[in-house]
Amino acid sequence: MKRSDINIKRLIEDQYLRNLPVPPRSEKDAKTLVDALRAMKETIQKQSAVHQPNVRRVIMKSKIWKLAAAAIVIIAVLAGLPFFGGKGSGVALADVLERIEQVQAFMYRMKMTMTGVMQPGMPAGKNEMEGTITISNDYGMKMETTMADANSGQAMSQQMYFLPDQKVMISLMPEQKKYMRMEFDDDMLARMKKQNNDPREMIKQIMNCEYFELGRSVIDGVKAEGFQTKDSAFLGGAGIFEDVNLILCVDVEKWLPLRAEMYFKMSEQMEMSGVVYDYQWDVQVDASEFEPVIPEDFTAFPAGGMKMPSMTEEAAIDGLKFFAEMSGQYPKKLNLMSLMQEFAAIEKNPTDSALKVKEEMDRIPEEERMKKTMEMMRPVQSLGMFYMTLVQDRKEPAYYGEFVGPNDTDMVLMRWKVSDNEYRVIFGDLTVENVSLEQLKELEAALPEE
Amino acid sequence: MQEDKQLISRFNRGDEDALRHIYEKYRDDLFKVAGALLNDRIAVEDVVHDVFVSFASSAGKFRLRGSLKGYFSICAANRARDFNRTMQRQDAVVHNESESVFLSTDEPAHSAIGNELSEQLNYAMARIPSEQREVIILHIQSNLGFKEIAKSTGVSVNTVQGRYRYGLDKLRSLIAGELKE
Repeated sequence: MKRSDINIKRLIEDQYLRNLPVPPRSEKDAKTLVDALRAMKETIQKQSAVHQPNVRRVIMKSKIWKLAAAAIVIIAVLAGLPFFGGKGSGVALADVLERIEQVQAFMYRMKMTMTGVMQPGMPAGKNEMEGTITISNDYGMKMETTMADANSGQAMSQQMYFLPDQKVMISLMPEQKKYMRMEFDDDMLARMKKQNNDPREMIKQIMNCEYFELGRSVIDGVKAEGFQTKDSAFLGGAGIFEDVNLILCVDVEKWLPLRAEMYFKMSEQMEMSGVVYDYQWDVQVDASEFEPVIPEDFTAFPAGGMKMPSMTEEAAIDGLKFFAEMSGQYPKKLNLMSLMQEFAAIEKNPTDSALKVKEEMDRIPEEERMKKTMEMMRPVQSLGMFYMTLVQDRKEPAYYGEFVGPNDTDMVLMRWKVSDNEYRVIFGDLTVENVSLEQLKELEAALPEE
Repeated sequence: MQEDKQLISRFNRGDEDALRHIYEKYRDDLFKVAGALLNDRIAVEDVVHDVFVSFASSAGKFRLRGSLKGYFSICAANRARDFNRTMQRQDAVVHNESESVFLSTDEPAHSAIGNELSEQLNYAMARIPSEQREVIILHIQSNLGFKEIAKSTGVSVNTVQGRYRYGLDKLRSLIAGELKE
């Protein structure tokens, strides 16, 4: 046979691979399955305990970065306000929701630990936060926290007020004598209100997530039923968190939450774990408790306040465009924390545009620079938060920034589902189009092979 | 792919039926990859067993990146490679790295491979270097991209592509009878 006549790949597929012999079923298959099932059971049992954080320290370059980091955490947490969703028996958690709906105000305490690299190039560290949260159907939410800076030994306290009627969040930082005022647009507020107050939305989330029941136990003398979820879609998981492990214990007589333990992995370099406890239900609250009092000697940070990033398609495209201008390429991932870290890493390999921005920044005072930095980051945050909403809303988003660049005019950079047979596509040149499923398949088949 | 995502989701929750289903679905693929890369029947069975038990140990935290078939293929290839290296170090008495297990069997399934071209191909596959054979199997049988293969073997994408290209080229030549055995 002539060498040129040989279609070797076809031969391998048709003659070699197809004829590779496979041994018939035997007792060895049974042994493999028995061993595998045993291994799986052992692993699941070990994992029923929640991760405990490593104790490491966070080193911040300056107080300004600490405040900026606090702002980012606030954005990340508020963007997916805590509520629990799971799918299992369906009945028990629905009862819990029904019960919570009847409560006008409640409060709880929490302890959270964040570990990892807060900024690229900085050593990994640990940040511990304790707080008391009060939630009122009538007035909003108040969070009083203390965050320990282990490097300096100083504690930074924060009082945060979320006021839906005013569409604003106000945060006071007494040690720094600063306050932060963040406004929400209607989209963000509608999403928060929907997630917070609409019981139909809560139950929808229950049906969308997956969890399993842990059975009964006794916590502080109270009989409790445990539920655990590791569904990455929880809290828009893939948008913020890569890994999720949350256990909720419910008082079986009152059908109200008793305690929650959680572990979230936000990126390869950052983790968060903690416990929510000491729930108090039907507490008496006063409107004045939710009205922040800003002392006269406090200054706004940043000056003039800031707006919550939009979670719209337009804002996301602005984010992609801006990121590409600064770095020459699109981000590899749209997970919010990874995205922020990638953006911060641009400093190591900036484009001409990024260098120009840096030169402009170096000429202005530090406080003003901080404000401009946060404004600059907003489109990138919008990008991450938009992606998170697509995940939360189960719109089957896919993102190919690792393979598609600004010059790839006809290649799919990002897409998500808009209806049964229709997808919205952002191409490499940031043009946008609705395509059918068949068209999408063709487009995605043309993507570079990994 | 959607089915695999659901299986993994159930598997991560400790669903035994899901684990059994995954084994039934990918058992043959595992045997094919291990069988193409190893020359020892018992080693093939051990690799399949170890890969699957190791997978089962990841319950609760397994994240599916890419295809499950690709994942299992890479695991099998990694263990096969380790086994071959161990055998080389032990200077095994009867060991020819260039031979695959399918040449050392008298089973009817093997001898049933009738036509001349298939036999030539079997012998040719057994005679190319193991690194080239591995890339060819993972790419064509398991549909893995070169980047994934590079990541699993710890070499560059260029090296993987080179191994693939040279491997196919050598196979072509062997079948065409240009190289002497």
